[in-house]
Amino acid sequence: MKRAASSRETVPNLAPMVDVIMVLLVFFLLGASLDLVTQGVLQAELDPRSGPGPGAAVEIVAQVRIALEDVGDGAGAKIYVMERALADNTFEGLRAFLVQRREAGADPDNMVVVGAETTVRWRYVVKAMDAALQAGFRNVQFAVSFGGPADGDT
Amino acid sequence: MFRPPAPASMTLNLAPMVDVLMCLIVFFLLASKLVSAEHYPVNLPWAVAAREVPSQELGDRVTINVRPSADGRADRVEYVVSDWDGQQIIERLLAPEDIEALLRARAGRAGRGEELRCVVRADRDVQYQHVELVLRACGRARIAKIVLAANKGAAPARPDGGEE
Repeated sequence: MKRAASSRETVPNLAPMVDVIMVLLVFFLLGASLDLVTQGVLQAELDPRSGPGPGAAVEIVAQVRIALEDVGDGAGAKIYVMERALADNTFEGLRAFLVQRREAGADPDNMVVVGAETTVRWRYVVKAMDAALQAGFRNVQFAVSFGGPADGDT
Repeated sequence: MFRPPAPASMTLNLAPMVDVLMCLIVFFLLASKLVSAEHYPVNLPWAVAAREVPSQELGDRVTINVRPSADGRADRVEYVVSDWDGQQIIERLLAPEDIEALLRARAGRAGRGEELRCVVRADRDVQYQHVELVLRACGRARIAKIVLAANKGAAPARPDGGEE
């Protein structure tokens, strides 16, 4: 009887697979390189007293209050500072006003609160915040209504 | 004369290397998916005072993208949350009323040593009320650290004379 020749041990050649995996590794390494992925950010902080509950009743006195009113269904925004309309109604003018305030001795840690009508476009709210930050104020916060009779802006 | 035996052919065992490389690939695949989920295409507003920071520096965070709704109505938006819940990458549309519950649950799971941040990536053309809703949810969920995403620099001029 003829016996089949003993099968020789076969070893798959992994070298091409390693090549492909290396290429994939480099691709994902670059894609996920977290240090390379940056984004522009404006850091804001909600006041710790904000939110529903007893703390919300605490009145927060802002040093500078900026209010924005929608104009022309999102086409622009009317700017108010301390409840008075800004003369030239530009964000450059707002920045100049805030710089003036800073130069007059306002503390940069003083709270600046930006409030806006609900229909104002987000870009104008960010511009107002940007103007305050450019003027050197560090503590810029948003007025957020929590609704309800006892809750005020935070 | 003595002759040394012919050297046996040597085959490099690549199997452990393949195992390690596979693990690395899975890691970076997941990491790059998270990065792309966090950089959801949104027309961010422009801000001169914005700081460019590596995402890594933001630490433990949940990202909420606010984009105009597909039907183009200014009073409607879509909220897309991007987050890593410890087991899988979440990237899904969220109803406005679910944002608070998500933030509360997420704040409860946040590490003790690190404070959770909420990254708000809102389209520049959405109305403030839609962003305010997210800020309010953060307030209710006791998340005080808010990061507003913006393009760094002055808004480029549009051909019609306006600003982007």
